[in-house]
Amino acid sequence: MNITAKTVSSDNDNKKKPELAPLFKPPREKFLSLRGTINSTQTIFLGLIGVISLFAFWEIAHHLTPEHQQKFLPNVSQVTSKLYYLFTEKGYLVDVGKSVYRIYLSFFIACMVAIPLGVLMGSFIKMRALINPTVGGLRYLPAASFVPLLLVYLGPTDSAKMALLFLGCVFFLVALILDNIEAVPRALIEAAQTMGASRFHIVFRVTFRSAAPQILDSMRNMIAVSWTYLVIAEIVAATDGIGAVMMRGARFLHVDVIMGGILTIGVLGVLTDVTFRVAAHFLFPHTRARR
Amino acid sequence: MSLFKNNNNAERHKALEAGQKEGKFPLGVNRVRKEYLNGERIAVDDMSLNIREHEVTAMIGPSGCGKTTILRLMAGLEFPTRGNVESFGLPIDGPAPERGLVFQAYTSFPWLTVIENVQHGVAIQGYSKAEQRERAEHYLKLVHLTDFANAYPDELSGGMKQRVAIARALAQDPKILLLDEPFGALDAQVTWEMEEMVVEICEDTNKTIVLVTHDIQEAIYLADRIIFFTRQPGRIKEDISMEFKKGRRFKKKEDLLTEPGYVEMEKHLYTLMREEIQGPLS
Repeated sequence: MNITAKTVSSDNDNKKKPELAPLFKPPREKFLSLRGTINSTQTIFLGLIGVISLFAFWEIAHHLTPEHQQKFLPNVSQVTSKLYYLFTEKGYLVDVGKSVYRIYLSFFIACMVAIPLGVLMGSFIKMRALINPTVGGLRYLPAASFVPLLLVYLGPTDSAKMALLFLGCVFFLVALILDNIEAVPRALIEAAQTMGASRFHIVFRVTFRSAAPQILDSMRNMIAVSWTYLVIAEIVAATDGIGAVMMRGARFLHVDVIMGGILTIGVLGVLTDVTFRVAAHFLFPHTRARR
Repeated sequence: MSLFKNNNNAERHKALEAGQKEGKFPLGVNRVRKEYLNGERIAVDDMSLNIREHEVTAMIGPSGCGKTTILRLMAGLEFPTRGNVESFGLPIDGPAPERGLVFQAYTSFPWLTVIENVQHGVAIQGYSKAEQRERAEHYLKLVHLTDFANAYPDELSGGMKQRVAIARALAQDPKILLLDEPFGALDAQVTWEMEEMVVEICEDTNKTIVLVTHDIQEAIYLADRIIFFTRQPGRIKEDISMEFKKGRRFKKKEDLLTEPGYVEMEKHLYTLMREEIQGPLS
């Protein structure tokens, strides 16, 4: 067999400056190209357009409303100036602080209950059989229906409000965390077993550790649900908190106060979400590689 | 077995060492039958097999012949329906660090860097911090991953991930290394590199290795002995010694191809495989 190799373009060597092929100009990407690509400028720009359109829509709706009814749909500047007034003159910051405190403390307690339960059930099938039918069923009880009961038990206290916030998310949180733990590949657990790891070690340092990023994601999603329960929790016999301020506004038909409250909750919700994302970024450096 | 304590208790270890000194087989499969789905499917039937020390034994056969089942029984991840499996004369009652396993699926812990992954297995064995580091570095070098010590597994290629898994299994200092189609998910070129790396490891550590594979060339290249399984239920069709290699290991795979007896061996295995694939379906 005769194997000879030949350099393909020997005449290129004679030229001093090998000319590069002209730049290829790919076809312009359509706005709605499937999946498509996006850079950071476009991401921010498009996001801003979304927010601005929402406010523009609101503003237009205000102007389309007959004048004598416009106080039921105040425009953006009326609401923001009302918010400014609330913050500077009415000590609204204390109410906001109170609501944030209620949300975070009740959610923290919910996590302290849900994470151990979820990990226990996800790791041991017999614990799952023991606990899941009960806890799973409790998910179908509307949290709002506990309001009268909590009022009887705890009265118009902070504890009653936090208990409602707790009940609103704890059962769902258990279910989500159970899913997260069960999604840990069996092979990871078996690998740890063949290394001679104890069950204690596997539950905490393999299963839980492996599911931790997904658990934080579940928490991020459930604290959003907590925010949605805030107003219900603060409706009844509350003197402070964002919900109480909004209910007082309703009594006097101060729509600008109600809308200001909604806006506040929205902003706080987004901030909470961002906090969780930032926490995930620093807590789980290994998940960055995937992006 | 306590919830907090490792399986690798000192007594068992002593008994294993004693068994090893007496020359008992690293692994003994005695009349094992393994049923699934309440006996609807028989993966392995009445199988007896002894694995000899310092040998590389390849288990090969058509898909669904129960070769992986036998390996999992050896690892202690599953238990036989009938018969028993022993290690150095001791009944296997669960997974233990003296039987390290490399899975076909990637099982590196994604939240740990490469070196931390290898250290993790060592740490469970109760080594000191300094020893952990030293052992991890040694085995990373053996699998040529020193440059990637601080990378996360998700940043690595499939071949590299399997090298982490091999280093991790070796670092726990097993008496037996079980390989469950470790290169099954890799492309041909990477598989080839990995096979040559296993030869290096054999030279370096002289471990007893049991390899499950469906690749005939791989089995001939790596094994001292090939166990050929029949198709469902799995039984031993043939127990073949790789005598033509005269006990040598080949650093380069292509050097084996010109070895007298190689072609005949390959042809023989292909014939066996054809018989099994074309045989009556049960």
